[in-house]
Amino acid sequence: MPQQFPALIIVIPLLAALLTAPLGALSRRLCYPWLVLIMGLTLCLALAIIGQVINSGPISYHMGGWEPPWGIEYKIDQLNALMMVLITGAGFLGALYSGPSFEQELPGRQTLATTLYFLMITGLLGIVITGDLFNVFVFLEIASLSGYGLIACGSADAPLATFRYIIMGTIGASCYLLGVGYLYISTGSLNLADLHNLLPQLYHSRVVLTAGALMLVGISLKMALFPLHAWLPEAYYEAPSAISGVVAPLYTKVGGYLMLRIIYNLFEPRFFIEIFPITTILSWAAVCALLIGSIYAIAQKDLKKMLCYSVIAQVGYIVLGIALANRAGFTSAILTIVNEVCTKSCIFLATGAIIYRLGNSRIDNLQHLYRRMPLTMLAFTVGVFSMVGIPPTCGFFSKLYLLFGCVAAGQWSFIVALLLSTILNVIYFFRVIKAACFEDPQPDYSRTEDYPQVEVEEVPAAMLIPILIAASAIVITGLGSHWIIINIINPMIPVGF
Amino acid sequence: MLEFIISKYNFWFYVVLMMIGLFAMLAKRNLVKKLIGMNIFQTAIILFYVSIGVKKGSVHVPIIIGGHGHGVQLIHAADYLNPLPHVLMLTAIVVSIATTGVALAVMILIYNRYQTLNEDEIIHIRQARQEAGV
Amino acid sequence: MKNIILTFVILTGGFLIYGTIDMPAWGDPQSPANSYVSPRYIEQALEKTETPNIVTAVLADYRGYDTMGETTVIFTAAIACALLLRGSTVGRKESE
Repeated sequence: MPQQFPALIIVIPLLAALLTAPLGALSRRLCYPWLVLIMGLTLCLALAIIGQVINSGPISYHMGGWEPPWGIEYKIDQLNALMMVLITGAGFLGALYSGPSFEQELPGRQTLATTLYFLMITGLLGIVITGDLFNVFVFLEIASLSGYGLIACGSADAPLATFRYIIMGTIGASCYLLGVGYLYISTGSLNLADLHNLLPQLYHSRVVLTAGALMLVGISLKMALFPLHAWLPEAYYEAPSAISGVVAPLYTKVGGYLMLRIIYNLFEPRFFIEIFPITTILSWAAVCALLIGSIYAIAQKDLKKMLCYSVIAQVGYIVLGIALANRAGFTSAILTIVNEVCTKSCIFLATGAIIYRLGNSRIDNLQHLYRRMPLTMLAFTVGVFSMVGIPPTCGFFSKLYLLFGCVAAGQWSFIVALLLSTILNVIYFFRVIKAACFEDPQPDYSRTEDYPQVEVEEVPAAMLIPILIAASAIVITGLGSHWIIINIINPMIPVGF
Repeated sequence: MLEFIISKYNFWFYVVLMMIGLFAMLAKRNLVKKLIGMNIFQTAIILFYVSIGVKKGSVHVPIIIGGHGHGVQLIHAADYLNPLPHVLMLTAIVVSIATTGVALAVMILIYNRYQTLNEDEIIHIRQARQEAGV
Repeated sequence: MKNIILTFVILTGGFLIYGTIDMPAWGDPQSPANSYVSPRYIEQALEKTETPNIVTAVLADYRGYDTMGETTVIFTAAIACALLLRGSTVGRKESE
């Protein structure tokens, strides 16, 4: 049984998606417990797999018993397993949260939304688990299509934002597909591990060079790396809260994972450093992303929109870590992915809770929020600490390693950019905290009368619990970052780093 | 030189087709035209893949002759076209249709809201509505 | 704006064509795509899968998992359309 886990983790959410329709026809109320149950089960499976991988090394699973490169292979190493835990974890929290949230935002459409939710998780898991380049494309499209559907049923302006997302997402996926085609024509193989062995003899071929560039551009579009980010803020802003609480933490990070795979496991890092210096371009794009994302975030008057721009800034951190191409940079890229999934899921879910209570998320509308929703805001504050990089949250360690990476690479301008973006982070997040703490822009210390009574109005427990779990996950991954580095990241570091 | 052109020209046609699609996706202001551009782009990639499967000198489509009975001769790989690109493209065609379908559904919602599918007009209407505070 | 996009598109096309220079010639039976993985499909498909149509054999057996993904894509699209279009009619104004 345990050796079938890699297949089961895909099959279970997929079958659950198929069974949701009859279940929803029976009674719409059943969808929510069903979603939570299945997501909990997949989370357990992912945890079992990561345990297996850490104890006994990478797993190779041949789909249908056909040996690679003829059939499709699942190759699960520490990084895949970690990504699977993150996806199922964030998926589980989003599922817990979805009950009251779907009821408010998608009344009467819970069955279909639940089905798409399952398909989205299936797609994301499929991307990270597979070791076949074409299979990645297929699951990328499953994840994207379900994402389009779920985002478009948000607010009234969501369809237009989604249409732009569809156009950009399709260009990205098509670029990736074309890159795979270029690799196929020059090697004849589609298996990632096989290509890794075949490609070094072809590093000077123009086809391979073009293929690498196409795949990286395609993935950059999907993960909204500057300057290809324009579709993201609007699409994530207009999405229903339970959906943006899952899409925002996961989609861009899965893109980051793919970029990591392409640079380190499909090609060798030396190809992108010596022969085709795309890492230089990527690192500058990343630096621009983290500065421009932060600057735009400051300009926003709406909390959720601001967070969307901070997603773009965080993509910059991940890509910078990848593009530095040294030990500390690699470590920081993975730590940032871990941190981002926890933090963004915490912050977006908390923002969703604020919208659930207030109806919108304009920053000047947040007065008294610390007294109205103390637990939600506590979690939000933990998330903010992690975004800024205050120990002991995971954000601190990922930024620390990124700094080490920049120092090791001798890139002093990147360090300046990093510090600058941290300061910008502080500015835009503490603006929110200030608005939520005080009634007026300036606290009035001379006032003598009592503050007005504010009733505590927390969101329903089903929404509050996932927010609190995500907040504690931020602290736990921060405290456990040493464990993550030793058990998961160190075995992944390529030889020669 | 001529030989070089003959051995490569079909790839160039696909690139041209792809770029027509890409241009339509980026430059056209009408959403339907953008979608048509997307389809051209994807079709060009499909053509590119299918053309990888061509093998000069092979005479058969990838269906084994006499495969239904016991009359199978020794099978030579050189006699049959490469089946793998066809398989991949069957999947890619389905993906492109699915994307088109979802895009059309989204477009219906856009039309219901703005009564137009021209992006400039939509932006105009949105601004007007924002000023009116709707 | 159109001129910028046109330039960008032409540059992209040029880059793609640059990539084709080193490609094996069209239809070359010795090219890696035709000689590395695919001959085994042709030679062994009948014996291993009892299917004379090799495309079917690869589609439904060797790479059957991709095909499952393909059907899932269609299912996803159908559900997404149903979710979006529930209760909406073409050409209907939102206010109506």
